[in-house]
Amino acid sequence: MTSPRLPSLAADAPGVARRVAAVIRRIIGVPDYAAYLAHVRDHHPEQEPLTEAEFQRERLAARYSQPGNRCC
Amino acid sequence: MPRWASALVWTVIAALGAGTLGYLALSRGEQVNAAWLLTAAVCTYLVGYRFYSRIIAAKIFALDANRATPAVRLKDGRDFVPTNRWIVFGHHFAAIAGPGPLVGPTLAAQFGYLPGALWIIVGVVLGGAVQDFVILAASVRRDGKSLGRMAREEIGTVAGTTALVAVLGIMIILISVLALVVVKALQQSPWGTVTIGLTIPIAMLMGVYLQYVRPGKVLETTAIGIVLLIVALYAGRWVAQNPTLAPLFTLTGPQLAKWVIAYGIAASVLPVWLLLAPRDYLSAFVKIGVVVALAVGILIVLPPLQMPALTPFIDGTGPVFAGKLFPFVFITIACGAISGFHSLIASGTTPKLLQNEKDARFIGYGAMLTESLVAVMALIAACVLTPGIYFAINAPAGIIGTTAESAAEVIRAWGFVLDPAQLRELTSHIEESTLLSRTGGAPSLAVGMAMLFSNVLGGTGAMALWYHFALMFEALFILTTVDAGTRVGRFMLQDVLRHVWAPLGRTGWYPAVVISSTLFVAMWGYFLYQGVTDPLGGINSLWPLFGIANQLLAAVALCVGTTVIMKMGKARYAWITILPLCWLAVVTMSAGAAKVWSDDPKLGFLAHARLVEAQLAAGTMPAGAKTAADVARMAFNDRLDAGVALFFMASVVVILAASIYEWVRVHRGTATPTSEVPFVARAAA
Repeated sequence: MTSPRLPSLAADAPGVARRVAAVIRRIIGVPDYAAYLAHVRDHHPEQEPLTEAEFQRERLAARYSQPGNRCC
Repeated sequence: MPRWASALVWTVIAALGAGTLGYLALSRGEQVNAAWLLTAAVCTYLVGYRFYSRIIAAKIFALDANRATPAVRLKDGRDFVPTNRWIVFGHHFAAIAGPGPLVGPTLAAQFGYLPGALWIIVGVVLGGAVQDFVILAASVRRDGKSLGRMAREEIGTVAGTTALVAVLGIMIILISVLALVVVKALQQSPWGTVTIGLTIPIAMLMGVYLQYVRPGKVLETTAIGIVLLIVALYAGRWVAQNPTLAPLFTLTGPQLAKWVIAYGIAASVLPVWLLLAPRDYLSAFVKIGVVVALAVGILIVLPPLQMPALTPFIDGTGPVFAGKLFPFVFITIACGAISGFHSLIASGTTPKLLQNEKDARFIGYGAMLTESLVAVMALIAACVLTPGIYFAINAPAGIIGTTAESAAEVIRAWGFVLDPAQLRELTSHIEESTLLSRTGGAPSLAVGMAMLFSNVLGGTGAMALWYHFALMFEALFILTTVDAGTRVGRFMLQDVLRHVWAPLGRTGWYPAVVISSTLFVAMWGYFLYQGVTDPLGGINSLWPLFGIANQLLAAVALCVGTTVIMKMGKARYAWITILPLCWLAVVTMSAGAAKVWSDDPKLGFLAHARLVEAQLAAGTMPAGAKTAADVARMAFNDRLDAGVALFFMASVVVILAASIYEWVRVHRGTATPTSEVPFVARAAA
């Protein structure tokens, strides 16, 4: 992640808001479908990627099946 | 910065830390401001991070930005995703910080602020943060393997199996004690019960919205959820003030326990998108929100600490929990100083996200220091209350009676002042029917937070809202540990049960799901119910068991860490994990021994079992028992708790023996080779 310079920060308020939202999503642990899609396109072009709904389902199932996600 | 300037800055920070710590340790009689405690903590953390964690980063692991991390090498867009260090820090912190660092320090305040503060501050720098960092670095070097897997591959099968069984045992005790904290916080409180109860339909509404109405719009959904939480807060007040509705939601401990148990089963059986995931998003926000609010409140008010540095209860006669300062302060405060559970996170999601292995220091060591700061703030919030009020809230009814006057009398005998009129005034300000014996730590923390917040915003008129606001937040993220933990526990149990009968291991087969969920909930539900009906309040027996379990897991983690360090050929630095390991071995064994064999029936499980049986034989019923069957059940529970403590102690011995055996083999050059993944350059990956 590169941080934008100040003038562009003011000019591109919606873009900044989008990126802040993306950071918050990652922190609270929302699966990142765009990153997954980009990865499959770049590295496994022969594979058919999961749809967004399938991806979310698969990620949520993985998240709540092993310790390593949650503490006291 | 030039070298001399850097040296100057660090000298000033170190002197400030040492000075404030010295002042705290030596001041007697006069009131100390919270600012001293915060300064001592932050300066110690800075020095620890700059100098102590450097030994692990540079000397032991020689963390190398050019070495490709698992996230880079195994990138799959799912588990392995190279991620910015600040995001991983936030994610890791939200995963490790929970109710533990809030409740433990609150309970340990019965010794005064000093023992808890020193253990939190020193323990984290030399113990907790070391553990988190070493395990994270070890896991990053092993493709993000879990603690149990590393224990098996580095130490051996015995250690690996012990670790897995111990984790399951710890989950059971952890969930039961946290559920007990929620039950204690909500009993006889219609406002709290309604507000917390409403968070469940709110989460389900969010789940449906996210699934069908606006798929993928997590932040929008969470924002709606937060607005609904505020509505639930006011709805709770409205119900509590309504004379026909209020009694319906004024529940006893056993009634609430049954609801929490039913909730646990539902959370484990229902699809995750419906309940768990939306709750989790809400709770992560709330968690960070509470921590920030607490910090802002303390920084603005800078309250004086009403609690003395040390109370007479360091001799083990305390009402909140039994046991002397040593070892019980080190058992009561686990999260915040050293928490074994973190090693599961540090070898879980986090190692698969690091884009640069040098980030392990900031994330492993740094996030734990932040959690420690949260524990210090919780301790401050507990010590904002006068000792009289603190003990009135946290001492069980069996000791202080059920009226403000009886409590005032008992507390006066302890050497503290409680004005019954003042207690009644506080109770009416927060709009509860009583504050006496609201044990478990959550209510007293909520009162402390309400005092801090109402100082900043709203005055006394807003205290009731702030109190229930704090209570709602605490209960929300405690229940999130209960539900997610139950689901994880169910999967772990299925993994064991599949050896008994293969179909029981099928996670998609509904009968197997229901059977294993019910079985796992029954295990923690039993301890919860036992705690709720315990005349000594339950916290007294369950919280120390949780502490011992958590420190046992920390011992496992430090054994794994030490073995990893030795197998890297860095045995001369192994003292960095052996030091906290020795301390934890001493603490867990002596606390375990005291809980099992102490002759004091308030402390020792077996002594208490003998006492109630002797009372029955002599024809007098022990407090809280009505029939001979009640007494038999109490004695059985005591022996069961003793058995659990013995099991944890035996696990410590097994893991230590297995590790020492492996260390000797390392020394002789006959050990199994390390499972560390060889160096791969970043460019090649």
